[in-house]
Amino acid sequence: MATTDATITSGPARPPLTEEDTARSHDRARVHNARTHSKHWHLLWLLVGPGILAMLGENDGPSMIAYASDGAQYGLGFFVPFIPVLFAMAFVCQEMCMRVGAVTHRGYGELVLQRYGKLWGWFGAGDLTLTNLVTLVAEFVSIRVGLAYFHLGSGVAVALGLVLVAFTLSGGRYWRWERIVLGMALFNGLFLVAAVLVKPDVGSIVSSLDFTPFPGGSFNTLLLLLASTIGATVTPWMIFFQQSASADKGMTPSDVKHGRYDTAAGAILAAIFGIGALIAGAALLTHNGSGIQGFAGAGFPEALKRVAGGAAGAVFALGLIEAGGVAILTISASTAYAAGECIGVSHSFNSSPREAAVFYAANVGVALLAAVVILIPGAPLLSIALNANVLATVLLPVSLVFMFMLANDRGLMGPWANRRSTNAIGIAVIVFVGVCGAAYGIDSFLLSTHLIGG
Amino acid sequence: MSVRAPTINDPESGAELDEHDPRRPTRPEDELIHHLERDQLVAATSLPVEQAALSPRARAALWALRVFVVLVSLMVIYTFIDQLH
Repeated sequence: MATTDATITSGPARPPLTEEDTARSHDRARVHNARTHSKHWHLLWLLVGPGILAMLGENDGPSMIAYASDGAQYGLGFFVPFIPVLFAMAFVCQEMCMRVGAVTHRGYGELVLQRYGKLWGWFGAGDLTLTNLVTLVAEFVSIRVGLAYFHLGSGVAVALGLVLVAFTLSGGRYWRWERIVLGMALFNGLFLVAAVLVKPDVGSIVSSLDFTPFPGGSFNTLLLLLASTIGATVTPWMIFFQQSASADKGMTPSDVKHGRYDTAAGAILAAIFGIGALIAGAALLTHNGSGIQGFAGAGFPEALKRVAGGAAGAVFALGLIEAGGVAILTISASTAYAAGECIGVSHSFNSSPREAAVFYAANVGVALLAAVVILIPGAPLLSIALNANVLATVLLPVSLVFMFMLANDRGLMGPWANRRSTNAIGIAVIVFVGVCGAAYGIDSFLLSTHLIGG
Repeated sequence: MSVRAPTINDPESGAELDEHDPRRPTRPEDELIHHLERDQLVAATSLPVEQAALSPRARAALWALRVFVVLVSLMVIYTFIDQLH
């Protein structure tokens, strides 16, 4: 690794410093300055990032289509209050990730691998790679759906996604990457604009807060709805991403309070924007909403245009492009962090591509691989996109259990380990996610093998 | 090679020095680097933490969960392929 000549002149001798150390120390100096001079808002501005990115990154193409499909098929009832409940669950999980990253300065993949053995670390990385690849394909499909509204094809979708990855990686600084993606992620608010443009009945939104009417349909459909909606809010990549990004950002135990604000802000924004997509989709409820194929052609945006006007359709289409683009960046980053951590090589945006070749190659490589899939003629893109969230839900419990173990590890966390109340909620979340994912997987398998009747 | 698991509030962990601390360095680059904690340096994070000793019961539970998750994933993948036809 390249080193600079900056060394400490007093106290115990420090090892040579890397480019990564020097870049991170610049960011920490600004945090220290803001804290010392009691610039509270500036401090908050400096410390937000990983939480908002994880939450808004998960408001990705498949998730927003899932929310809009829920609205189009079942209306607002049940889902308007259910989405905030799911993001409250996501907050519990992601707060643990942020705290572990800030206290240990290490990513999730490397901690699992070192603390519990290589086998478990590689299992986790394998799960992540599989779900990330499937999800990334769905993100490119989402961009393609959005672009189709403007009469642009798959080639433009692929080029746009890959240019975004290359552009954000070009600076060689975590801070630059984070701020660019954060700026893009705020355009997730386009779904809220789309919701306003469909002129919803405020009374029906308020009356849906009592979780009624409960969605009808078969037991398997209900399980699919639960599994895909859970997969739209909490996924394995978020766990890898937020812990690694918190460590890469240079967060310390003294930043945990602001890390919680960051994560809470992300959860609140993501829930509001998710409900926006749901409300926009619900405008199609009385217009054969259940017949709309979200990923076929321009699907939802075109349907919205017919019902609520061209502006609503265009805003929804732009929202899908944004949701897919941001998710490509965050999901590729989580894959790159996991690859670098598990192989044991440099894994930071603060390192140059020469210093962290594996990290940068994995970041670009996984996006490139997903892009190639959507260019394959006849590839089952619709099915892949619809199953991405479900697969993430099924694989999530293992990632959550290890996160829970790390957050309770007093040898690592000291006084920052989980409290009893956090553990009680955490266990409830893991059990809920595990039961919903397993129930859907088993029920669908039994139905498709005709071992039980439909 | 492994290191003791990092803990917080450890005087050896090199927490940020106070602005008026006489140990504070004078060179600009030294001043910058003092804003990093000792266990935040790449040299420290590249050393693995101690492996935790999992009880046989915990190990068995993790394996049971892993096998269960793989089986359910295979069911989901089977259903996915079946739906394609």
